Order: sequence, then structure tokens, then C-alpha cells
Amino acid sequence: MKQGKKRDNWGSRLGIIMAVAGSAIGLGNFLRFPAKAATNGGGAFMIPYFVSLFLLGIPLMWIEWTLGRYGGGFEHGTAPGIFHSIWQKNRFIKYFGVIGIFGPLVIFIYYTFIESWTLAYSFFALTGNYSAITEQSAMQGFLRGFQGLEHNQYFNGLGTAYIFFLITFALNIWVIYYGIKGGIEKLCKWAMPLLFVFGLILLFRVVTLGTPDLSRPELNISNGFGFLWNPDFSALKSARVWLEAAGQIFFTLSVGIGVILTYASYLSKGDDVVLSGLTAASTNEVAEVILGGSIIIPAAFVFFGQADLQAIARSGVFNLGFVTMPLVLNKLPLAAILGFFWFFLLFLAGITSSVSLAQPAIAFLEDEFDINRKKAVSIFGVVSFLLCQPAIFFLGRGVVDELDFWGGTFFLVLFATIETVLFVWVFGMDNAWDEIHKGADMRIPKVYKFIIKYITPLFLFIILGMWFWQEWLPIIFMKNISCADRPFIVATRIGLAVIFLTLAALVRIAWRKKKLQGEKIR
Amino acid sequence: MNFSGWVFLTVSWGIIIGLASLCFIKVFSKKEVK
Repeated sequence: MKQGKKRDNWGSRLGIIMAVAGSAIGLGNFLRFPAKAATNGGGAFMIPYFVSLFLLGIPLMWIEWTLGRYGGGFEHGTAPGIFHSIWQKNRFIKYFGVIGIFGPLVIFIYYTFIESWTLAYSFFALTGNYSAITEQSAMQGFLRGFQGLEHNQYFNGLGTAYIFFLITFALNIWVIYYGIKGGIEKLCKWAMPLLFVFGLILLFRVVTLGTPDLSRPELNISNGFGFLWNPDFSALKSARVWLEAAGQIFFTLSVGIGVILTYASYLSKGDDVVLSGLTAASTNEVAEVILGGSIIIPAAFVFFGQADLQAIARSGVFNLGFVTMPLVLNKLPLAAILGFFWFFLLFLAGITSSVSLAQPAIAFLEDEFDINRKKAVSIFGVVSFLLCQPAIFFLGRGVVDELDFWGGTFFLVLFATIETVLFVWVFGMDNAWDEIHKGADMRIPKVYKFIIKYITPLFLFIILGMWFWQEWLPIIFMKNISCADRPFIVATRIGLAVIFLTLAALVRIAWRKKKLQGEKIR
Repeated sequence: MNFSGWVFLTVSWGIIIGLASLCFIKVFSKKEVK
């Protein structure tokens, strides 16, 4: 970036805290967490969950905030430039940083479509489109019809879903167009409190459900909470439960994506990252454990009972959110309003995450190519719109699952491992510790110096190794993919490789251009 | 919900609400970013 060109910045500390919390609080807080907790030991799940939060999640949060602010000081807002600033002697490290743009872009291209379902269902709740449905199979049919996976009495194709996708996509681009302070910060400062208001209303409604069916007194709200919270200590002996908890912490805090790096790059050198990072993480935890853990599972237990709920929780998070929850709310007075609150809460959680996913690619164009925001957003809008199409039209062929695996799981853990090693072992722990505390409003307990240096990287290597061996190899070799879907999966992988190589080529072009212009890249 | 369930719920909520409250109190008592 040429000297004197001013980068965007945050308008207030609360603004960046809300934006990072908004990025972290997503659909997973309300759907994935309760399902994971209920099926992995209930209350006992919270032991590995908190261990992972304090040994993995919060340290990674601090690492990313610090790396982002450090890179922002050299006018780099994305991982290629930030990694280069940390390890200037290594000319390849910037290419590892490509993951920090690739990951969020890939997540964005399927996440926006899923986010648009929540907007559509908010509308359906108010208009009563699904209000007459009382059976799981019929509600499942409504969802599949909406997704364009089957033609039925509810939907005759993908048209409705596509209209809501267009609205959602346009809203995202509109917010991003107005930049960090004027767009993202403004959105998050009203969307986050509104999300909590909706969440608290739903929580209150669920807590006051009592025993709706007096002929089945065991189906009461206390037992509903018990389903989620009664501990099964035998689960703690399973390595899988510990991995699930670590994974949940990883995904819920939005670490390893590259988004926090970019957001923090808009801070000034003297701005605190310790307290702000911890505040954003704890806000996410309130949304996840208190709101997420108190709405869908207890409410579904009261109406469906333990056996059905176990099957529902294992059948996937979309069933919980888009099939079970509307059925539960349909049984209550003011179902339309409560349904709207539920789905609009999910929409707010979604849009505050999706705008953050778009930001790294835009920051990359702005910072490394000197492109103004308007043009960068236009390029991003056109490219990402085209990239969204396979996720929409080939949803039933496993394209979204494939994109989620590479963008939202595999590269995420890999990226977190790279940035942690870089921060702790290349930058040096003493430098890192000083950098974290620049402008800090609180001191991190000294034990974290040991945790960040040894425990967090070790934790990451264990996750990386175990997941690779146990879960990823069958996915990579397409073990559970039907023959009919394989061409679509292969095509998706080729597409992803092309995106990655294009981004790597753009990094190369940007660095060469700067070199030719005689700019010193730091 | 059994007694252990209540213990886990109370302790988990306590840790999270406590942490979030302390953080926000500290944030609002300190200087704003520009």
C-alpha cells in the first residue's frame, strides 16, 4: 500500500468487540452446541468444553487479535501480508497465508445460502406458510421442497429459496460496501443486542413451558434441561468426546479462519487486544451455553420426549433448527411471533458472521492491490456470487458438505496450527508476550505464557493428527460418497484448487508489483 | 434434572456470566478506542 493511504478503522472499542462476537456467534451456537452437548455426556461435556476454552480457544483468540493488530501496523489486513511481516526472511510463508483468505471465502459461498433459509423461514413464520404442519415428516418435506431437493405440495422448485438468497446476498454486499465503521460495526452494534433480546424472550418462553401434556408428566421442562445437563461421566473416558468439545470451541470462536486477523488489523498499535479478545469470547459463550443450551433441546424434549429427541439430535443440526423447532413453536400460543424470533435470531447470527467472512478477501484487494473499497466490493460481489451457485444448485449432491469440510474444517485447523507456530516459535514467545500486552487493559496470568507456548500448539497438533486419522481420511478418499455424487465432489475439489491457486497467484503478483514499484514490503 | 445436572448448569452459567460481566465492567471503565 502506498504511503499516506488511510486504512479503514473501528469507530469504538465496543464496535470491534461486537463485530468479533458477531463473527463468532453463528448458527452453530444455537444448533450445533446443544446437539453436541446432549449427545456427548450432557453436563459432563462441559468439563472438556471448558478445558478447551481456556487452553485452546482463548489463547488462539489472543494470538489472532495480536497478529492482526501487528500486521495492521504494516498496512496488511490479511494473512499473507501478516505472515510475511512476522517472518520476512522466508519468501514462502506468505503463500501459507493464502489459507486465511481462501477459508473465509469458501465458507462465505455456502454460508450465505444457509443464512438465506433463516431469512425465508422468518418470513414463513409470519405468513404462516408452515403453521399447519404438525408432523416431522411433513416439516422435513417442507424443508426439502424449499431447498429444491424435491417437488411437493409446498414448493415447486428452487425459486423461493433463490429469491431469499438474492436478498440475503444483496444485504451482505450492502453492509460490506459501507466498510468497517460505516457498515460492519453499525450492523453488529444493533444486531447483537437484538439477537440477545430475541434469545432471552425465547429462553423465558422455554423455561415457562412447565408440563404441556399432563398425561405425560415426565415430559416437563426440568427434565428437558436434565436431558442436556445431567452428566454422564463415563463419556469422559472417550477420546471422541474430548475431540468433539475441542472442535466445538474451535468452531464457535471463529478462530483459525482469518477473520479475526483482518478485524484486528483495523486497530491502532496502542489499542488493547487482551481485554477486547476476552470480552468477545465471553460474549460468544453467553450466546452459546446460556441461550443456545436453553432453547432448542429443552423445548424439543418437552414435546417429543427422550427417545425421539436423541434420534433428532443425531440426525443433524438442520433438522433441529428447521424441522424440530418450528414444530415445537407451532404448538405454542403466538407461534408466528415466536417462530419469527427464532429464525430472525438465526438470521442475525448468520449475517454478522457472513459479513466477517467477506472482509478478508476485500481487505486483501484493498491493502495489497491498492484497490478502493467500492471496486474491491464490486469484484468480490461478482466473483463470490458466481461461486455461490454450485452450493445452491447442487446442495443435494454433497457440494455444501464438501465446501464445509475443506473451508470450514480442514484448512481451519491447519491455519490455526500454522499461525500459532509462527507466533510462538518464529516471532518468539518473549516478543509475542510483549506484543500481546502492548496497550493492554489487563495482564494475562503468567501461566498463559507456558500454555500459549506449549499446550496450545500441542493441543492443535493432537486435534490435527486425530481428526486426520479418524475422520478426515475417509472424507478425503470419498468413502461415504455414492457413485452418483462423486463427479460433483471431484468437480468441487477441482474448483477449490483453482480458487486456492488463483489466490496464491494474486499474492505473487501483488508482491512482484510492489517490488517493481520499489516499495519495501514489511 | 438431577442434582448433578443442576450443579453443572449452575457452575457453567456462573463461570460464563462471571467472566462476561467482569470483562464488560472493565471495558466500560476503560478508555475507548479511537
